[in-house]
Amino acid sequence: MPFLSHGSYRIRYELEGPAGAPAYVLVNGLTQYSELWGAYRDALIARHFRVATFDLLGQGASDKPALFINQDDHVAVLHRLIGELGDGPVFLGGISFGGLIALRYAIEHRARLSGLVPMSCFAELSPQLLLIGNALRTGLILGGTGYLQDLLLPMNLSDQWLKPLLDKLDSVKRQGWLVNDVYALQNLMESFLDFKPLTPQLSSITAPTMILNGEFDFLTPRALHETLRVEIPDSALVIIPKAYHAFTLEKAALTADLLARFAEDVMAGRWQGNKQVLIAPEQAGGDLSPFPDGYDHLRAIPVQRAAT
Amino acid sequence: MSAFLGPLEADGRVPPRQQSRVSAFLLSAHGALARQFALALPAKFDAAWQTELNAQLYRESEIVSLLMRATTWVPDFALGPMAASWEMAWLPAPIEGIADHVRAQAVQLAILAHAVHAGIRPAALLPTDANANDPFVTALRRIEFESSRLLQAQILFLKGPDLLPFRDAVSAALDRRHAEVRRLWNETLESIGVVPQQ
Repeated sequence: MPFLSHGSYRIRYELEGPAGAPAYVLVNGLTQYSELWGAYRDALIARHFRVATFDLLGQGASDKPALFINQDDHVAVLHRLIGELGDGPVFLGGISFGGLIALRYAIEHRARLSGLVPMSCFAELSPQLLLIGNALRTGLILGGTGYLQDLLLPMNLSDQWLKPLLDKLDSVKRQGWLVNDVYALQNLMESFLDFKPLTPQLSSITAPTMILNGEFDFLTPRALHETLRVEIPDSALVIIPKAYHAFTLEKAALTADLLARFAEDVMAGRWQGNKQVLIAPEQAGGDLSPFPDGYDHLRAIPVQRAAT
Repeated sequence: MSAFLGPLEADGRVPPRQQSRVSAFLLSAHGALARQFALALPAKFDAAWQTELNAQLYRESEIVSLLMRATTWVPDFALGPMAASWEMAWLPAPIEGIADHVRAQAVQLAILAHAVHAGIRPAALLPTDANANDPFVTALRRIEFESSRLLQAQILFLKGPDLLPFRDAVSAALDRRHAEVRRLWNETLESIGVVPQQ
C-alpha cells in the first residue's frame, strides 16, 4: 500500500494503469474510501487511462489529524499526488466533498488540468445545504458513524439500489464504518465552519469541465450545479437520469463511460462545453441528448424557460 | 494474525484470554481517566462547564464497572508488566507553551481523554459473527458508542477560543498522545493475535 507524505502525515494512494497514459485522478466523498472507485479503475484502465485514487487526509487508511483539518491541506495533497503523474494530460474528478476539493484545485492550479469533472458538487453552501450539513454533523456526534450512514444511504441512493440490500445494510455500511472514525469525519465536516464560497473564482477555471448532477439529487440539487455551469467558461452540465447524490456508487459503469468519453473528446479536440445542458443516457455507451429546447432545466416539471 | 478478535468460541463468544487482555487495557485507560476527572472535580461548581466534569467522571466509572462485570476473566501473568507500562503512560505529560498551571492541567486531561475516546475503537475489533448476546460484545459496543459522545467535550474544549493562542502546542501534544495511545493499544492487540486495520 503506497503512501505520500504531507508534512508529518501519510496519505494512502493507489496508482494503476500504463505509465505515460493520460491520467484520471478521482477524489472521494466525505464517508468514502479509495476502494469504492474499483469499478472506475477497471473501466478506465481498459480505456487506456492511468487511474489515481487516494484516501483524503482524515479518511480510510490515510493519517487522521486529531483536531483540525484544513481544506487547503486536501488541495496540497492532491497537488502532491498529481505531481507523481509526470507531465501528461491529467483529468480530475471528484464527488461531493471531493468535487469541492477538485474545484479548489482547478482554481489554484488551472494550468495543470486537461479536464475537470465535478460530480454532485457545490461551490457555495445554500441555506438548505448548510442546514442539512449541520444536521448530519449533529447526527454524527449523537449517533456515531453508523447513524450518519443511516441518514446518507436513503438520501443518496435510489429505491432500486436499496431494495435488494435492505436485509444486509449492515454489511453495506461495515467497511465505511470500520475505516472512518467519528472524530476524523467530524474534523472533515467542521472544515466548513469557515468555508468561503468559491463562486467568485469559478470563472478562472480554464479546463474543459463536465459537471455531472443526478436527476433526483436533493442533497446538492440542480441549482448548485447551475452555479458551476454558469460561472465556469468551458463547461457543460450533464444530468444523470434517475440518479441521486451518490450516483458514482450506483451507476459506476455509466459514469466511468462518461468520464472516459469526456477525456477522449477533450484530447481529440471534439469537446465543446458551450455551457450546454445535456441529458446522459441511461446505460453506458448510449448517446447524450440536449435538454429540450425552451424548457427550464432547473424545474422538476416541464415548464417553459422564461424569455431573457 | 487477523484484524478482528477470534477465532471465536463455538458459541460465538470472544476467547476469554482476549477478553481479559482487551478489558485490562480499557480498564487501565478509562480507570486513569476516572481518577483524573475525580481529582479535577471541585466540591462545589462555580462554572457551567464543570457539570461536564461530573458527567465525564461518572461515565468513565460506568465503563470501569461494565468491563469488570461483562468480561470473562482468566489468569494472565503477562498483565503485570503490561499494566505497569500503561499506568506510567497515563501520567500527565507537560505541554510546552502553556505557563498557566491550572490551564495546562485541564489541557493535559482533555488531551488524554481525546486520545482514549477517539483513538480506541473496541467495537471495530468484533467480527461480524460475534455473539450479540455475549455481555463482553455488548460492552465493547457500548464503550465505543459512549466514547464518541464523551469525546465531544474534549473537542469543544481543545478547539475552543480559549486555546486558540496555543493551537500549535495543543495540536502537537495531542498528536503525540494519540500516537502513544495507539502504540500501546496496538501492542496489546498484537499480543493476542490481532492486527488493527489501520
